Formats: sequence, C-alpha cells, structure tokens
Amino acid sequence: MSKLTAGRRNLLKAGAASLFLAGMPISGFTKGKPRGSISVIILEGGMDGLAAIPPIGDADLMRMRQAISPESYLPLNDFFGLHPSLQFYAQLMARGQASAVHATAFPYTKRSHFEGQNMIEGGGLSPFSEKTGWLGRALDLAGVAGRSLSLDMPLILRGHHNNDNFYPASIRGSARPKADLVEMIAMGHQMDAAQIFTKVAHKAKENEQVPRDPASLATYAGRAMAQAAGPLASVIRVANFDTHANQVEEGDPDAGRLARQLGVVDDVIAGYRRGLGSAWNEAIILTLTEFGRTVAVNGTLGTDHGYASVGLLAGGTLSSSGVVANWPGLGKKDQFEQRDLMATIDYRSVCAACLEKSLGLDHGLIAHQVFRQPDLPRVFEHLFT
Amino acid sequence: MNEQFRIAQRIGLMFRYDQDLPQDMEAWVQSQLQAPSPALGIPHAYAKVAQWPDELQPNLAKRAYMWRRYRALKKQEREGKNGQDTEAARQANRRNHLMREKDEHKFVQRNVYGADQVKLRLTAFWANHFTIGNTFDTGNMIGHAIDEGILAKLNGSFADMLYGITTHPGMLTYLDNVWSAGERSEHAKGCHRRPNCHAGLNDNLGRELLELHTVSPAAGYSEDDIRGAANVLAGWGVDFQEELPGMRKKIGGMNHWKAYKKRWAEPGTKRVMGQLIHAGRGGLRQLTDFLANHEHTINYISTKLCQHFVSDNPSKDQIESVKSAWRQGDGDLPTIHTQVFKLAIAAPEAKFLWPMTWLFQVVRLSGATYFKGWEDIDNYNNQLMSSKKVLKELGQSFWSFRQPNGYSDDRVDWMSAEMFERRIRFSDAVYKNGNPRRSVNEIMDRIGAVEQTRAMVASVGASPKDRFITLMCSPELMGLEYV
Repeated sequence: MSKLTAGRRNLLKAGAASLFLAGMPISGFTKGKPRGSISVIILEGGMDGLAAIPPIGDADLMRMRQAISPESYLPLNDFFGLHPSLQFYAQLMARGQASAVHATAFPYTKRSHFEGQNMIEGGGLSPFSEKTGWLGRALDLAGVAGRSLSLDMPLILRGHHNNDNFYPASIRGSARPKADLVEMIAMGHQMDAAQIFTKVAHKAKENEQVPRDPASLATYAGRAMAQAAGPLASVIRVANFDTHANQVEEGDPDAGRLARQLGVVDDVIAGYRRGLGSAWNEAIILTLTEFGRTVAVNGTLGTDHGYASVGLLAGGTLSSSGVVANWPGLGKKDQFEQRDLMATIDYRSVCAACLEKSLGLDHGLIAHQVFRQPDLPRVFEHLFT
Repeated sequence: MNEQFRIAQRIGLMFRYDQDLPQDMEAWVQSQLQAPSPALGIPHAYAKVAQWPDELQPNLAKRAYMWRRYRALKKQEREGKNGQDTEAARQANRRNHLMREKDEHKFVQRNVYGADQVKLRLTAFWANHFTIGNTFDTGNMIGHAIDEGILAKLNGSFADMLYGITTHPGMLTYLDNVWSAGERSEHAKGCHRRPNCHAGLNDNLGRELLELHTVSPAAGYSEDDIRGAANVLAGWGVDFQEELPGMRKKIGGMNHWKAYKKRWAEPGTKRVMGQLIHAGRGGLRQLTDFLANHEHTINYISTKLCQHFVSDNPSKDQIESVKSAWRQGDGDLPTIHTQVFKLAIAAPEAKFLWPMTWLFQVVRLSGATYFKGWEDIDNYNNQLMSSKKVLKELGQSFWSFRQPNGYSDDRVDWMSAEMFERRIRFSDAVYKNGNPRRSVNEIMDRIGAVEQTRAMVASVGASPKDRFITLMCSPELMGLEYV
C-alpha cells in the first residue's frame, strides 16, 4: 500500500493527469434551477472495468488475467471485488452512497479511441454524428448553461451558446485584460468570435484563484455547485487509461499505471465530496469511458482495446450500494467477438437516469432529444430506488 | 492584407519585421519548399540571429545515453547516494541529461527566426499528423523525431516519411511497440517456459498506423487487419533504457532508428487488408509502402491537408485536386504541398490559426524579443517565461502528453473564452516584455491592414499597448471573418 500511495503523490505533483472540469452557470443567463447536480468524470483512454471492479466470483477471471488482477481487492459481495486504489469510494459504498454498473457500454464496438470518445461525449447514434454533447443538450433542455474549467470547451458540454469555460492563466508579466478593452475587441468581431470575446470581457470583471490539480479542482467545483446560484453540472477529464503496457507493476498487481489512475479518480470523488458539503445529498457523480479492455492480458502486462467496462457512480442521491449487472460471463463464448467483455446494459440508459434524477427531465424527452434514441431503456429504478 | 502577407499568414509564419518582401509570390512559394533549414535562433536576448550550436543538438545515441544517465542518477537520488539528493544535483541532472526543454526551445526559436517559414508550417502539420506524446521515455526523442523524421523528410515521398517515422524510437516507444513480441516469436516461446515472464503482442501502434497515420476507419479494416499490422511491427524498436551490450545483442547494432529485434518478430507471412506481407525485416517497409499508396490514405490525408491549410470544410473538387497531384507525383510531398498551397492561396475564406502559429506570427511581425536565448534556457527571467511554459499556457505543445490523434484542425475546438483570453494575455505580454521594434501603425502599413482592422485599433484609443493587443486579436490577424 505504501508503494501505491507514493506513486499517486508523485503523479499529482508531476501533473501527469490532465484534467478539465465544468459546469458553472453564468450569472444573469440562468433561470430557476433544479435541485440536483450532475458531475461526469471522463476516463480517457478506455478504462479496464475488469480490474476496477473484478468479478472475483467468475472462475474465468483468474484463468484469463491472473497477472493483472488486483490481489488485495476489497470484496463487495460473493461475486464482485473493488480495486484497492478506490479507498474513498469503498467508504462511500459502505454508507450506501456509491454504486457501480458493470458489463456496460455505449453502443460502439469498433475500438477506436477517437470515434469512441466522440460517441460518449456527443451521445449520438454514430461517431461524429453530433456537433454538440449529451450533457450540453440536457442542460439546454433544462434551461441552464454550463461553464467548463478547461482551456477548451469539451464536446460533451457543447449545445448551448451561453456555455463558457474557465481556466486561469499564469502568464508572467501580463495582467488580466481590462473589460472595456475586451468589449471593444469583441465589437470588432462577428458571430461566435464576438460572443466569445464578450464572455472574456464578462470574466475580466471577476477575480478568482483556482488550483489546477484534479482533487483540488473537484473540491472547487463541488463548492461552486453547493452555492445557491451555483452550477448544475461539471466535467472532469482524467487521461492515461490506455493501459496497453505495464497496466500493473511486474510482480505487484496492486500497483502500476492503472492503480495510479484509479487513485486519481478516487481523489477526484473525495474532492467532490469535500467541496459539495451538504449539497452532496442532491448530487450524482458518474464516470464515462470510451470502451473497456480485452479480457485476456496481452504480451506487455497490459490489455488492448475492448468493449464493455464499468461505470462508477457516487453521490447522496443514490439510495443503496451495489453492483448493477446482468453478468455475461468471461468464457470465450460469452465474450464479444471472442475477446472483450460483452455489454448487457446500455450505458446511455445510466446517463439518462442520472440526468432524470439531477435535472428533473422526463426520460422520454432525454431518450428522444438528448440521445436520439426514443426506445432507450429506462434503468432509473435500478439506481435510485 | 496585401498579397505577400496574406499568403505568408496562410501557409507560413509571416515575414519578419525587417525582412525584404518578395515580389513574385509564386516563385517565393517554390523557393520556400526547397529552402535550407538550419536551426536559427539567438544565443541571448538582442544578439544576432545564428545557428544553434551542435552540442545542443545531440544525435540519438547521445540522447539515449543521456536518458540512461538521467535514470541512473535519479535512482541514486531516491536512494540518497552520492549526494544526488540535493537540489543542486537534481537540477544539474535535469539540465545535463534531459532534452525536452532544449528541444522545445529550439523549435520555438526556429519558428520565430527561421527563414524557412513554409517548411516550418509543414513540419507542424506533419508532426501533428504523426503525434508522439510525452510519455514513458519519449521526452528525449520528440525533438529528434520532428527534426530528422519530419522536417528533414519534407522533400521526399510520403512513403519515406511514413516508414521513417514509424521506425523512429519516439513513435515505437510512445505507442508501446518496443515491448511488443509476436506470439510465436522465439522470445515469447522462451519466455512462456519461464515463470512470471510476460511476452506477447501489443497492438497499439498497429491500430494507430491504420486508423490515424494512413487509411483511417473509412477503409473498413477488421480487427484481424489490426492484428496483422501489429504482427508485422512486432520486433521493431529497442527500449531507450537498454544498456549497450544488451542492445548490441538484440539488434546486432547500435542504431536506435530502424532497430529490429529478430527474436521478437512474428514468423511467417501476414495479411493486412488483403495484402500479403513477407516475414522478416523487409515486411514493414512492404506494409508501409502498401498503406502509403492506398486510395484511402490518399483521400484521408489529402482531406486533412485541405482542412489545415485551405478550409474547415474543403470542397470535393479541392480534395480531388490534391488527390490527383498525389497520384501524379507518386506520393512526392513537394508536389502534393504545391497543390495544397495553390488552393490555400486561392481560398476566399479566412482560416483560423492555431494558437502557436498565431503567437509565432505576432512575434515575427512585431520584431519582439519574447523568447530567451539558448544560453539563457536555465536562467530565471522575471519577464520572459521558458518556451515550455509559454506553449503550455497557450494550450498547444508538441511536448505535452496528449492522445495520438493530435491537435484538431477544426476551429470549433479552439473557440473558447479561455483560448481567446490567452491571445489577449500573450499580446499584452509580448508588448510589455518583448520590446517590439515596430509600432502598430508601422505593422499595419507594412501588411496592408484592411480598413476594419484600422477602425478597430482606432476605437480603443491612444494607448500603444491597447492598440497592439487589439491589432493582434483582430479578426484579420487571428484568421477570422470580418463583420
């Protein structure tokens, strides 16, 4: 365990996890808001769900991937265990405030990062079919704008022209621009560029100091969302889940790349919990990843691109803990194309349930206008009652 | 903007503040394609422009040695041995053995001072196409890959560039190939007989070679094709940390580039997208040549070139014209580039500039000294940041950790309030700390700024700093449309 902790600290210090965070409404733009909040942690690269929540009760697990399965996992029940990096998450589970959905995926099976990421953020029926994101469209339906805490505006939040982003600059020898100068510059531009410079002018009037490491950013976002006129949604991006090589350390399957990255996720969830305070009771946090990884270990102590993975959920809106799954099995014949964990739950349904809970939108409306899939199954009861 | 600057903005980095302007722009474009590319820069602020010293441009063997040395001293630092755990020793180790900051600074300086501006824009395009992110051991290799794998290969064929960069240790390390072994390779078979020995295929590079570097998913290849490509690649590359005796044993030589470990290679012929690939070292060249000349590759990269230089939404005719130049020249890059530039010069609409391209243009146009000299890399300056920090704050660096699909050419991915705020902040910083040698009026006269830009600058009043910021953040200089 000591090795693990040291590794994680080094990582945070080195800033190797790139992170983005989103979802603050802009004063004056936002109407009366729903009570809940929704936060998405995007795990970029394809997170290995079979390592995060190993199905220890499935005899095929050790047969297929002993070298990379965590040894000191925490047993959740007879069938599922929890990766030792997810310590805080485990405490939440014990309190009935965290759940997992297993063998789940967006309906995308081609194993490309970039198509997959476009699908999970865009939420369309095929890669690159949407210019806006599912969370952005849902916020638009709920009548609230979001703000992203990153240099760019992530696809998942696009969909509302009042969306904004925030990521404080640190440029030696330069001052924050004066609002009146920026307003004049905005007047010289047209269309989207003019709108964006106008937002820069608005922000020139604010004065905020925000940290940049993942956990502190999550705390910051949580605090902002807890305020009466605070934001409804936020997005954090954690990179580096593409564990083709050295997913675990040689001889220590509890340590290595994936253990470090799951540790970052655990810190981010803990950061949210700290920041949200009593607003935790109205909050839902969920992870999102473009695909899971191969069932079998590859030749470099890692795993290649796969299909289904796991979704981690946390927040006071959850009424009980557990692993929601319709387990497909890990035998060759049970696998998708004889290599990947099969998906038996459409993860869009999980996202839809979280939107329904947090933004108070009707499932039919979400299915139709957010995910373009009118017959999207509703899984609300499995998570929230 | 006048013709000279309009073209230089579109396909180059702008003429420097003191440069004579060419009269015949068509001839200029051709001469730029053949321009020599010494790494130009300045040793310290306000010094004369000169060539980067050789000792700051080590070869691969030296870079690998430095990396091994860095790791060894890091280990001593952790163990508290040989006085390596002091701050001074730590800094000396970084300074003496890591190339990232030096390479990134050289990249910035040559973009600011280089006389080969068109080739530098092409270098940025191809370095982005063949993205090598900063992971594992690649920090000491990325600069070498950009200089020797991209810039030095701009006047050859696409097939040569593809093979060169695929076999560069930077790419082979970034996408895990140095650790991949064929399932039936001698190495894997030997390994499987020993306990706790892991060896086998890793398909990361095989997948991206098809998806990102050549044919793209539009080609409709299968997982078997990806596996086939990974099997062809198995055995290529040697770990940068490998000590010399081990390296000699594994690859029978000392060169990290095109290093091939026979014992890791998958025996037998392979099949990729219907093409039979021979066993052995020659198989990879056969595969990259097959992919380089594939219709889907020609279509995918012609489109990407148009999106970068011509328009976010190039027409079918525009793409077709690049494709036919590609076929006619048999993949000859200058022939392809010439056609792309023809379209770029004729394009009616504005083309939004990447953050780094815009910053280089701002500095060149104004004659500011915004970047330190190469002798001052490690000296703190309370006005000038390191090139590494500048590019990080700008949100675009070839030395960052990032995904293999690189930076987007779609302007929508760069349109955000923070991105725009950076343009204002950097204009401010360049003005205040870079001591520009040309005034706003001089710059506007020289480039032939349009009436709207002049009116916009006039609207912010008399402050030279505000006028400078406004000019640099005008639609005309950002590559945006006018009201």
